[in-house]
Amino acid sequence: MSLILAIDTSFGTSVALVENGRLLAEHNVLDTMKHAELIGTAISDVLLRAGVKPQQVTAVVAGRGPAPFTGLRVGIAAATMFAAGLGAKLYGVVSLDAIALAALPGLVLSRDEPLLVTADARRKEVYWALYSGLTDQGEPIRIDGPGVLKPVELEDYLVNRNVHPLRTDTPISAASLAFLLEAQLKSGTATQDVGALYLRPADAVEPKAKIGKAVSG
Amino acid sequence: MTKILTADESHIEQMMALELECFGRDAWTEESMRFEALADHTYYFVLLDGEKVRGYAGLSKLPSTHQADVQTIAVDPKLRGQGFGRKLLERLLFEATNLGASEVFLEVRADNPVAQGLYSSLGFEHIDTRKRYYQPDDVDAWIMRKSLVGEPKSQPVVLGIESSCDETGIGIVRGNTLLANVISSSMDQHARFGGVVPEIAARAHLEALQPTLIQALHDAKLSMDDIDAIAVTNGPGLAGALMVGVGAAKALAVASGKPIYAVNHLVGHVGVDVLEGELELPTIALLVSGGHTSLLLVRDLLDDVTLLGETIDDAAGEAFDKVARLLGLGYPGGPSIDIAAKTGDPKAIRFPRGLTLPKDMEKHRYDFSFSGLKTAVARWVEVAEARGEGFSVADVAASFREAVADVLTAKAVAACNDYGVKRLLLGGGVVANARLRELATERCQANGIELRIPELKLCTDNGAMIAALGAQLVMAGRAPSSLDFGVDSTLSVETVYTR
Repeated sequence: MSLILAIDTSFGTSVALVENGRLLAEHNVLDTMKHAELIGTAISDVLLRAGVKPQQVTAVVAGRGPAPFTGLRVGIAAATMFAAGLGAKLYGVVSLDAIALAALPGLVLSRDEPLLVTADARRKEVYWALYSGLTDQGEPIRIDGPGVLKPVELEDYLVNRNVHPLRTDTPISAASLAFLLEAQLKSGTATQDVGALYLRPADAVEPKAKIGKAVSG
Repeated sequence: MTKILTADESHIEQMMALELECFGRDAWTEESMRFEALADHTYYFVLLDGEKVRGYAGLSKLPSTHQADVQTIAVDPKLRGQGFGRKLLERLLFEATNLGASEVFLEVRADNPVAQGLYSSLGFEHIDTRKRYYQPDDVDAWIMRKSLVGEPKSQPVVLGIESSCDETGIGIVRGNTLLANVISSSMDQHARFGGVVPEIAARAHLEALQPTLIQALHDAKLSMDDIDAIAVTNGPGLAGALMVGVGAAKALAVASGKPIYAVNHLVGHVGVDVLEGELELPTIALLVSGGHTSLLLVRDLLDDVTLLGETIDDAAGEAFDKVARLLGLGYPGGPSIDIAAKTGDPKAIRFPRGLTLPKDMEKHRYDFSFSGLKTAVARWVEVAEARGEGFSVADVAASFREAVADVLTAKAVAACNDYGVKRLLLGGGVVANARLRELATERCQANGIELRIPELKLCTDNGAMIAALGAQLVMAGRAPSSLDFGVDSTLSVETVYTR
C-alpha cells in the first residue's frame, strides 16, 4: 500500500495525494510567483481534504523540473523536508515526463510524430522534451530532451530532425507526478534523486584580477 | 562570568584533570570519561569560566526508561561553597525533566553531609543504603531519589532554519539552552567570484537542507517528535535563498504538526545572546556581515527594536571582499585582510571614514558608507602603480581595516553614549575581525560600556539564533505565524516576526 504526496512547483504550486492509483485530493494554484507563500497551505489542504494524517504518507515525490530556478526549489525543499521529518521515502521525477504521462493516453505516436512537451523557461526560452509513447508499465518513453531553447531554435531543431510532433504546453498537475512514480515503482525505474534540473548555469561572471604589481611586507 | 554548556570532546582533557583533583584514587580513567561524557544516553555539562572548565556534571537516561541517574558532579575545589554544584545539579534536573524522566537517582557517600544537604535541599530523599559501597574506605553509599512528577516542561524545544545568505544553518535550542548548531556553508563556491552569488547560494541551500537537518537532530539527540516549534528566517536576505528555507520549514511544520514562527534574521543576531547567559536590555547592537551593517537600539527583544542606522551602500563585509580582491588577497576578504594587515602599519595611509564629516553627521549620524572607502583604496593603489613604485600590501590592508573598524566602533559607541545605554552587543560574521574586536573592547572600556560578543559560531549566520528567537516567542506565548507568510528580502528590523 502506498500513499504518495506529490509536490511540484515547476510552474505554479501543485500538490496532490494519491493512493494506489486513486487521486484523493489535489491543490493547484497557477500563480508562478508565490510558491514560498503557497506551499505550506497547499500541503496542509490536501491532507485535510483527504482526511489523511501526515504520518500516513509513505512516499513523497518532487517534480525536479526543468523549471525557472526560484520557484522550483521551493517544492523540492518542501518535499525533501516533509519526507525527512517523517522518515518517509523521497523520490524525484522529471516534471515534463509527468506532463507527457497526462497527455499521452489516446495519442497515436511514432518516432517521427512524437509528442512535444514544452514549458515556459522565461527569458524568451522554453523547456522541451519529446516522447514516442508509453511503456507497458505506463511510463512515457522520452526520446529527446529535456532541453532549453528559444522557440525558433527549437523549431529549427525539429525541422532538422525531420519530426512533426503533436504538442502540449498544459501546466503540470501533481497528480500525474504521483501516477508516474507509481508506474516507475512498478517497473523499478524510480529514482531517489531530487536534484533540481536547472539546465542553465547560475548567472555569475568571474571578475578579472585587478592588481598589477605590489610588494608584500 | 561562568556559564554551563553541553560538554564535548574539547572539554574532556580539562574534565579529566578536574576528575583527578576531585576524586583522587576513585577517579575515572580518561577512556571512561570520554565514553560516558559523549555517549548517546548521557547528558554531560561543563561549568565554564571563559575557556576554563571549573566543574562538570553528568546524567544518564536510557530512552526506554523513566528513570535518570546522576552519574557525577565535580566542582573545582577553589570554587566550592559558591553554589556551582547546585547550579550543575539544577541543570541536570532540568534536563531530566525535559527528557521525560519521572524520577532521578543518585548515590552519595554516607560521610559527606555537605553533599547530602545540597541534595536534600533540592528535593532528594534518602531511600536506601548500600553497605560499605565505597572501597577501600569502607564507607556506605546513600541512595537518594527525587520525583519529577508534576514538574512542568517549561522550556520549549525549537528548531530554527536559516538560509538568508550563503550558510544553511539548522539549530535546535531548549528554551535558552543550545542543543545543536549545524552550519553548511557554500562559501568556497563563491570564492572565484569574489562575493556571494545569490543563485549559487540558493542551489547550495537546497542540497544542504536534508543532511543539515539530520546532523542537527543527531547532535541534539532528538527526533522530530521532540520538537515543539519550528522557526525560520523570512528576511532580510537574498530572496531566492530565503525561499528555500521557508519552503523547507513550512513542509516540516505541516509534516510534524508543529507551529511555525517566521522570524527576522537581524533580530536573531541579537537574540542569540540568550544562549550565552542573560540578554541584558536595553542594549545597542552592531550587526556587521557581508550583507548587513546595522546599528540597533533594542529595548525589548520581541517588542521594541529600533533601527538607528545602517549602511547606505556596501555592507562592511562586502567592502572587505572587494578590497581583498583589489589587493590580490583571498576570499572571503575579512580573514585574508586580517592576515595581511598583521605586519602592516594602520596609520600608513589615512583612508576616509565614511559619513563622519559634520554635515554627514547631521543627517547620517548612525549610518555607514563603505563604497567611498573602497574607491579610495582603489585610487590609492592605481596611483601607486602608475608611479611604478612597489607598495606595501600590508600597510594598505592595515590602513583599510583600521578605517572600517574605526568608523564602526566610533558610531556604535556614540549611539551608546547618546542613548545612555551602556551596553553594546556585536553580531555578524565581520565580528571575526581581530581589529574590530580589539578596538571595540578598547573604546567600550574607555566609555564604561559593557561589551558582549557571542561565540563566533553564534555570530556568523546560523540556525541556532533563529531557534533561540523562536523559543523566546513561544515562551512569551506569542501566536505562531500563519502558514502563508512570504519572504521579504528587505524586511525591516522592527518586524521581529511575521504573523
